[in-house]
Amino acid sequence: MQTRPLGETGHDSTVMTFGAIALNWLEQEGADQMVELVLDRGINHFDVAPTYGDAEVKLAPKLNQHREEIFLGCKTQERDYEGAKAKLEASLERLETDHIELYQVHGLEYEHELETITGEDGALEAFREAKEDGVVDHIGLTSHGNPQLILEAIDRIDDLETLMFPMNPVVAGKDDDDHDYEAVLERADEEGIGTLGIKAFAKGPWPSTDELPEADRPYANWYEPVDTPAEIEERFDFAASSGLTSVINAGDPKLVAMILDAASRYDGMDEAARRSLIERLRHEESPVPEQLHH
Amino acid sequence: MDVPTTVTTALEDRPIAGATCLEAGAGVGNTTAGLLAADAARVYAVTNDANHASTVSERVGRREVDRTAVLEADLRDLPLASNSVDVITAHGLCNVLTPQALERVATELTRVAAAGCHLVVDDYEPLPADAAVRELFALENAVAELVGGRPHLTFYPATMLRRLFAGHGWTFDRERTLLDPVPWTRRHLEAHAAVARAGAEELPTELREPLLADLEDLVAAIGEESVGEMYSIAMRFSD
Ligand SMILES: C[S@@+](CC[C@H](N)C(=O)[O-])C[C@H]1O[C@@H](n2cnc3c(N)ncnc32)[C@H](O)[C@@H]1O
Repeated sequence: MQTRPLGETGHDSTVMTFGAIALNWLEQEGADQMVELVLDRGINHFDVAPTYGDAEVKLAPKLNQHREEIFLGCKTQERDYEGAKAKLEASLERLETDHIELYQVHGLEYEHELETITGEDGALEAFREAKEDGVVDHIGLTSHGNPQLILEAIDRIDDLETLMFPMNPVVAGKDDDDHDYEAVLERADEEGIGTLGIKAFAKGPWPSTDELPEADRPYANWYEPVDTPAEIEERFDFAASSGLTSVINAGDPKLVAMILDAASRYDGMDEAARRSLIERLRHEESPVPEQLHH
Repeated sequence: MDVPTTVTTALEDRPIAGATCLEAGAGVGNTTAGLLAADAARVYAVTNDANHASTVSERVGRREVDRTAVLEADLRDLPLASNSVDVITAHGLCNVLTPQALERVATELTRVAAAGCHLVVDDYEPLPADAAVRELFALENAVAELVGGRPHLTFYPATMLRRLFAGHGWTFDRERTLLDPVPWTRRHLEAHAAVARAGAEELPTELREPLLADLEDLVAAIGEESVGEMYSIAMRFSD
């Protein structure tokens, strides 16, 4: 599988990152098999979080069996020093490891959170302390929030080494600043920051719970995912050809093998094909009259 | 308003900022929106369809009154002065023009072009023989021929349009692929089917009914299809 430099971390990440949230919906034996499958296909970058049910615990046995082969990303939603420090320790314990390669601020959403994180007694102090102690190698940030806020985070966090954000052809078709993750990608590149893409496989929001109760959804994802090999492949190709370092699989374990396959066969997607996908998926409930052209 | 990536891609290497532009065949105004977003000084959005003209006025004209003039006019006889336009776009226009109309439109666009004017022509290559959507377009054209004696759609190869405009004094600058494949979505195909249905209303029952039956079968069978190529040609005018 292709690898690319993860910014200036010195690590070359595979073009697909294993989102270990998938382990949450498997029993331990299935989780072990999943990790073996992912490693067998050559994946070298894993991502997990304490908020993914018991994914950390289920990852632990195989993580430790193959510790040297895995560049592990973990994250915390805590915004202050004490909270972040405690969560990092808890994650290390559940993962049964003594270090994490990449520790990330998880799910940045609001301006005031950025204030707290970067301020005195903020989460980043705990991150930096852990880095000095050799417990954490690199610092990252994840967000599916406003691109302008992510850009601000790049400005304000000098030692930021990776970013995780959405890269999806439906979103790419929207021009306003609220959807401008391309601007984030561009800035990250200029700054030598590694980039990880989420939501590549999201088709759209689930139908309302009146129409489809949560318990009846066929996939564990927050969004309704694409789920045919052809769609998975074009979504993977789209995200991987955007300039991102690596693309994270959809969370549902039923989709992981298909995504691994697409990642193994990835060999680029040209601009005309990328635009073709954006235009095909351009929002259906558009307010303008029917169009005969592109 | 979201500008389609086809439009942004066709315009991105053209000097739009500060230019007086003409969108020839404005449709719903996608290219007008793209030209305004690229800082055009003024955009004339021309269409001969009253509904399109009011849609463009609503969508873009209203917010950009100072920079936009929506003109309901025929491209074969433009209400614009000679040598007055810096950039002309024909995005998805030529395929709705018959060869005769195309020739006359080319003459008129050349008349209004200022020295050094940039022309951007974006359109579709003829579809491959095995494309399912070809059958739908053939049916749409059959209805148009029966009703009005001319086709509704003609897909001109890029090389042909290059030569046509070269014959009018334009110099080739560049060509790029906008879409490959072209996504013919349900929305697009439904819009084409609607054109055919409306035309068929004017046909005698014994012609209309079998054509409509075929049409509905085709639309259902195709669903959507990604096939063919959309290109962008850029040319320059020098007297
Ligand atoms: C398919 S639309 C073009 C799409 C548009 N350029 C865009 O970017 O969204 C074709 C337009 O050309 C107009 N048109 C066709 N023949 C014309 C003519 N002879 N004079 C003026 N407008 C014409 C149609 O009414 C329609 O508005």
